[in-house]
This record gives sequence, C-alpha cells and structure tokens, in this order.
Amino acid sequence: MSQTLTASPAGRTLAEIRPHRGRRQGTVYLFLLPATAFFIGFVAYPILWVFDESLMRAGSDGVRHFVGLGNYLATLQDPIFWLVLRNMALWGLITIPVQMLIGGLIAWFIERHTQQWRGFFRTMFFLPVVTSVSVVSLVWAQIYAPYYGIAQNYLQVLGITMTDSALGNPATSIYALIVVNIWQWTGFSMLMYVAGIANLPSEVLDAARIDGARGMRLAGSVVVPMLAPVTKSLLLLGIIGTLQTFPIVQLMTGGGPSHSSEVFGTDIFRQSFVLGDTNTGATLSVIVLALAFGLTLAQIVFLGARLGGRRAAR
Amino acid sequence: MTTRIAGLEPANLTVHLGLGLVLLLWMVPEAYMVSIAMRAPETVFDPTLFTWPLTFDNFVTVIKDNPLPSFFLNSLIVTVATVILVLAVSSLFAFAVAVLRLPGTTVLYAVLLTTLMVPMASLVLPLAILLKTFGWVNRYVGLIFPYVALGAPFAVVILKAFMEDAPKELFEAARVDGCTPWQTFIHVTLPLVRPALVFVAIWQFIVTWNEFFLALIVMTENEMKTVTIVPMQYSGLYMANPGALFAILTIIALPLIGLYVLVQRAFVRGLLAGAVKG
Repeated sequence: MSQTLTASPAGRTLAEIRPHRGRRQGTVYLFLLPATAFFIGFVAYPILWVFDESLMRAGSDGVRHFVGLGNYLATLQDPIFWLVLRNMALWGLITIPVQMLIGGLIAWFIERHTQQWRGFFRTMFFLPVVTSVSVVSLVWAQIYAPYYGIAQNYLQVLGITMTDSALGNPATSIYALIVVNIWQWTGFSMLMYVAGIANLPSEVLDAARIDGARGMRLAGSVVVPMLAPVTKSLLLLGIIGTLQTFPIVQLMTGGGPSHSSEVFGTDIFRQSFVLGDTNTGATLSVIVLALAFGLTLAQIVFLGARLGGRRAAR
Repeated sequence: MTTRIAGLEPANLTVHLGLGLVLLLWMVPEAYMVSIAMRAPETVFDPTLFTWPLTFDNFVTVIKDNPLPSFFLNSLIVTVATVILVLAVSSLFAFAVAVLRLPGTTVLYAVLLTTLMVPMASLVLPLAILLKTFGWVNRYVGLIFPYVALGAPFAVVILKAFMEDAPKELFEAARVDGCTPWQTFIHVTLPLVRPALVFVAIWQFIVTWNEFFLALIVMTENEMKTVTIVPMQYSGLYMANPGALFAILTIIALPLIGLYVLVQRAFVRGLLAGAVKG
C-alpha cells in the first residue's frame, strides 16, 4: 500500500478525488482496446473470411462464384474426409482417457506418497511436454524404424513381433501416432491432477481414512469425484487439442500411407497449401470450427464444464 | 517401526521404485535421442538404446556446419515479444473486467473466450492469406501478432481469476487515495497478481517456442525459420547420418528443457495457487 500512497500526487485533498467513473469513463475503455483489436484482426476476421471462402468456388476464369453449400457437399462425398473423422474420433477416444488415467495415477502416487522426491518426479514427467514436437516426432520415427529402430528389437524380447514398420502399415499408422501423443501429453494431465490433488481439503481425505476408506477405495469414492473439475478441463482441452493435431502426423507420416493417418490438420494443409484449393481448405476449416464449438458447448451445457481451463497448444 | 531404507518406509519405498520404473520407461525416447547423437558412424544404426563408446564429434560437426544460433535468435525474438505483448494486453483487459467492472465488459469477455475453442488448424489458411496481404510473410510480426491474439484469452482467464480473488479493499483504498485507474493498475493490481503473471509468462513461452503449424507456413525463408521447424529440413539433409541429425535435435530440445527445470518451481506454484481453478 505504501507504493500506492507515494504514487498518488502529493497535496491532494478529498474534494479533488476523482472516481473511476465520470469524466474519465471514455478513456478507461482503452484498457480493453489492445486485446479486442488483436481478437478482431487475427481471430474474428479470419473466421469470417473462411466462412465466406467456403461458400465460393474459383472458376476457370479466375472469378469467384457463389456456390452455396456446394463445397460442403463435395467434402462430404470425399472418402478421405470420412477417414479423417474416423482418425479424429480414435485420437480423442484413446488419447484423452489414457492420458487422464496414467497422468492421474502418477499424480496420485507423487502427491500422496513422496516428499523429497516430489519436485523431481513432477518435473521429469512433464519434460516431454516442453520437448519440441518436431524433435519428438523425429525421435519416435527413429524408434519405429524397421531394422535399426529400437521398438522392433525390444518388443521382440517381450514376444511381440513387428513384421513391418508400425508407421508404414495403413492398419496401424494412426495407433502408432496416438502412442506418441500419449507419451508427449500425459505429463500435462499429471501436472493438472497434481494441482487438483494438492488443493483437495485435507480434512476430507483424513475423514475418509478414519472411516476406513483406504487406498483404491478412497481414490475411487472420494478423490475421483472431487477431481471432476480437473477432469472436465482436461476433456475440454483434449477435444480442442485433438482437433488441432498436426505436427506429429505431418512429420511422421504426412497423413499416409494412403491417407490412413490423415487428420484435419494435415488435410487442411494438403488442400490449402499443397493442392492450392483454398475453397476446400476453408470448408474443412469451418467444419473443424463447428465441431470445436459444438463439442465445447455440449460439455458446458451437459457437464457444466467451464471455459476457464487451460489451452494446450501444439 | 520397521526397517527404513533411505528414510523411507517399505510401502513408500515400493511407490518410489514403481514411480522410478515408470519414469525410466518414460524417459527412453529422450535418452535414445541423446544416445544416437553421441554415436560414432559404426554404431549409429545399432538397434539398441545405448552403445559404447560415446563421442561428441556429431555436436562439433553440426555446430560448425550450420547457422544454429540464428534459428535460436529467431525463436527468441518471436517468443519474447509474444510473451511481453500477451502479458500487457491480457492484464489490461483482465483489469477492466475484474477491477473496473466497466459496463459491457462481461459480454466482451465472453466473446474473447470463444478464442479458446478455435483450433489452430482452422485458422492457418485465413491467417496465411491475411499475412500475405499485409506483407508479413517471413516477418517476425507475422508470427507474433497471431500468437498474441491466440494466447491472450487464456492469460485473461487466469489473470481475471487472480484479480477477483484479491481483497477488494485494496482497490477501494487506491481509489479513495486518488489513484487514477492507470495508477491502480500499475501500482496495486500488477504487484498483487505477480504469481499469475509469472505462470502465464512461462506457459506462453513454452507454447510459443514450440508452435509448429503457423511457423511452418509463415516462415518459408531459411533465415527466418524458428527452431521448431528446422529439424524437418535437417531430416532430409542428414538422412544417411542420424548421429548429426540427432545432435541437432538434442541441441534444439535441451535449452527449453533446461529453462523449464529452472523455472518449474515458480510454474507449479502458480498452478497450485489456483491457475487451474476454472
């Protein structure tokens, strides 16, 4: 507070005190201006642009024509689009719960059973999150590589024989990529649950223990429900994260072989920047946006999730 | 009391051993990366996690042959500028919403939050066109401005929550003392939410440093590339020499890992202080 006092001009009397509102009301809105300007320029305007572009088609004469929902109908008839949807569903349905489960268990053991080693474990398990995703992708490509990769060699010891590269087989490529995503992002779920567990009221845990609830029963009946807000945040972030999946796939398989691991990110990239078809790229962008908005609103309405969570960008 | 090993009770020792085992497994890719980077040409294609002997030759070669410092400089300029702008823009906005409570701000706040639902995949195409129009392709601002727009809403959420948790009397006292809103912002509010600012700065740094999609599209000239997108071109260049490639990957990965280890205490403190409440 002393800072505040010295900051105010000396010799000021009560009569001179200006309230926040009043004649300064106009200028205080300037506080909102920078963030709003960035939002309009780099979020709102681009979104309006993709909507417009998705309703147009560039003709052979180079002139844009309004085609209504024509691009959408064409996209829905593209078998690759359905492969993308299947892969996105697999990605979300596998990565989100697995990362929650492993991350949650690790967090539980770290928070409840370690003292001196707590900081060490928390930091180490989070390291994959801060490892550059392009590095992660190239290292895992090497792990999966046939002949000189370690996956084939060591899985053989466990009795699992990989006849060919997991990335080169259309039947397994998407799962091989999902494993990489789980490896990279489990530490994020872990740290979110660490924060949740650390903030649990200790009386509740103590009371439950005295009542005879121990170990797994304590976790199941008391802790899991109390961590629901963290779980909801992770679900929300997981779905947005799934929809923006790109670097791992682009760098490891490029969406192949024969589109078997194609995701929205690689499909939009291919259509817009490789094939130069911005109308189809825009149509896919709108579909991704609609899915993200729809799924988020559904969680807010049905699960009471809040958009105050954290944004995982990759 | 039963026998204690390293000050741990048997049950706790089991938990530590279990966690350690999982951690060892989890660290295999990181160890593999360093291991390949330190191999001689004879052993580089061995399908084992570790080989012997170790060598630093690959590091010497790639540092001598490649302009790695310039890529780091690009990443540093983009990341630091983004972090500073995000902190400035979002703390101003959060202050107006949480402390000044100006009429109409709740609606604007809700609109701003919709950004959190927008996946980067749906924005790369329009942003690429927009940046081309402005002549911002291969310019630092071409990455910084979109990153600020996408990062600010999350920062606003965190900072707003911290400002709302702060004792109201402090802001009231500042007003009675004759502070202008600007003075209240600088001298009262910012010091109060310091842990939140630190937390936001660290997270924004990690996210910006590692962003790949937009950087790939905006930075096409070699001199402008950030460290996240350079491994791609080297994977082609060093196809037959994985030792050199993985030396580059190690050099690219280690600074951010080291930085996180240095600041993790402050980061986790911010997280525990309620950054995750929402």
